[in-house]
Amino acid sequence: MAIFNLKKREIECKIVYYGPGRCGKTTNLEFIFKSYKKQVRGEMVSINTEGDRTLFFDFLPMGLGKIRGCDVRVQLYTVPGQVKYSSTRKLVLRGVDGVVFVADSLEVRREKNMLSLKDLQSNLKEYGKSIFKVPLVMQYNKRDLAEQGIPLMPLEQMERDLNRQLKVPSFPASAVKGAGVGVTLKECLKLTLKALQKEFKWAQ
Amino acid sequence: MADFKQQLKALLGEAEIYKSQGLVDEARAKYKTAAELIRSKPNIKNRDGLLDAIRAKIGQLQKQQIDADQVVQSPKLSPKAQNLIKNLFIATDEEHPDDAALQAAIMMAKIGQFESAITEFNKLIQKDRLRVAAAKHILQCHLAKSSEREAIEQYRRWIEDGGFPPRQLETVRQYLEEILQQKGIKRRLPSPKIETEDKADQIPEPETESETEEDFIDITSIAISFEGGPHKGKTVEFDVNFQSGNMLSLIISKNEADVLEGLDDGMKLNDIQFFSPIAIFSGAGVVVSKTQIKSGPKQGDYCLDIRITST
Repeated sequence: MAIFNLKKREIECKIVYYGPGRCGKTTNLEFIFKSYKKQVRGEMVSINTEGDRTLFFDFLPMGLGKIRGCDVRVQLYTVPGQVKYSSTRKLVLRGVDGVVFVADSLEVRREKNMLSLKDLQSNLKEYGKSIFKVPLVMQYNKRDLAEQGIPLMPLEQMERDLNRQLKVPSFPASAVKGAGVGVTLKECLKLTLKALQKEFKWAQ
Repeated sequence: MADFKQQLKALLGEAEIYKSQGLVDEARAKYKTAAELIRSKPNIKNRDGLLDAIRAKIGQLQKQQIDADQVVQSPKLSPKAQNLIKNLFIATDEEHPDDAALQAAIMMAKIGQFESAITEFNKLIQKDRLRVAAAKHILQCHLAKSSEREAIEQYRRWIEDGGFPPRQLETVRQYLEEILQQKGIKRRLPSPKIETEDKADQIPEPETESETEEDFIDITSIAISFEGGPHKGKTVEFDVNFQSGNMLSLIISKNEADVLEGLDDGMKLNDIQFFSPIAIFSGAGVVVSKTQIKSGPKQGDYCLDIRITST
């Protein structure tokens, strides 16, 4: 739930990067941290294992400047993708305002994508939110691996698997190269702020 | 032959990429397919050498997986990270910051950060409404560290420093005695002096718990009767380490991990006996999560969260 401070005219919202283990959620945040220095408002905090797997979450605070006199701050989080960290994922999702679902384009990860999306749906449900109503953007990551001859799922198949019913904006990406990272975040921010504007009747 | 070479190259290339991405299972599967391909061609040169090389690669992957599973993971969370965890709760419950802080401290305890959790619970002891809950959790933290002595000492310090309203402290005493008894420690703890003119008489007694906790009595242990899975027909008792309303957290030693087999997220437990200081009752629950503690003194042990669904 976004925090709206009417007196200070400040709004703080939370966007969570969700997806299966090793799909590139942390890589997305790392690229944002490196490339959006002007907007980043502090250090990126990662709570991970020595093998660089996210143990708890990654956190990156950003400022989007003023929108109609309101100072807009965004907190970006990732969740640990490994199946065993179910309760942590749920906790990080608490109070979420917008979600980026990072799907792995590798053919061999097809099932993991679908299971993770299902997990997102059930965790949102536990917080009384519907996956159909929450601001959500899909990112089909690791598209660059096609150049190395690795079998990837065609985008059309990923759309069918993951986005047939949701029909949310989706973007191909290569987080490791930075391609598609910015546009995914911007779209999620746009949807999130639009939803908050509607909810708080703010900035009218 | 050219076809074979290309196929083999592609399979090994894929396996290497998956390995570099940390996708151990996928990499292993590709190496195995590559090995099968080589075995299907009895006449190729250096066949045994190739198979040995693949075996070595699979061995490396196994080691990589074991290392990843056993890796010592951040022995202690940085203060910044701990603050962020707190904020995960507090920022989302501005109306009840103290309740949110209590939940955050319970979370710290559940991930094995007992010292930090105790520091946070100690701050909450100043709040009349949350004093008893915070005190119980402090005792649970000491007990989870296997320090019954420190739990008893802590209780004595509360008696001595006089900052605790006697009636609230009496609730804590009963709670601690009950838990100690379940651990086989029979200890008569000194009762606080409750005077008849104690103002607490006039104040309605503990509205001490957070909103979510107020309707639930303290559960000190539970006995689960397994209806299926590898432990079908068995009844196993567990101590409750932390309680937050209808959510019970049990810390289970890694040496007893086999008992967790079959207790998976979402599993319904239709036959549970709940033991509390005042009554034993039957009910049902659901496994909310099963996680391994990654750092601190309980590293490697498991935390099982069970939500009581009916009593």
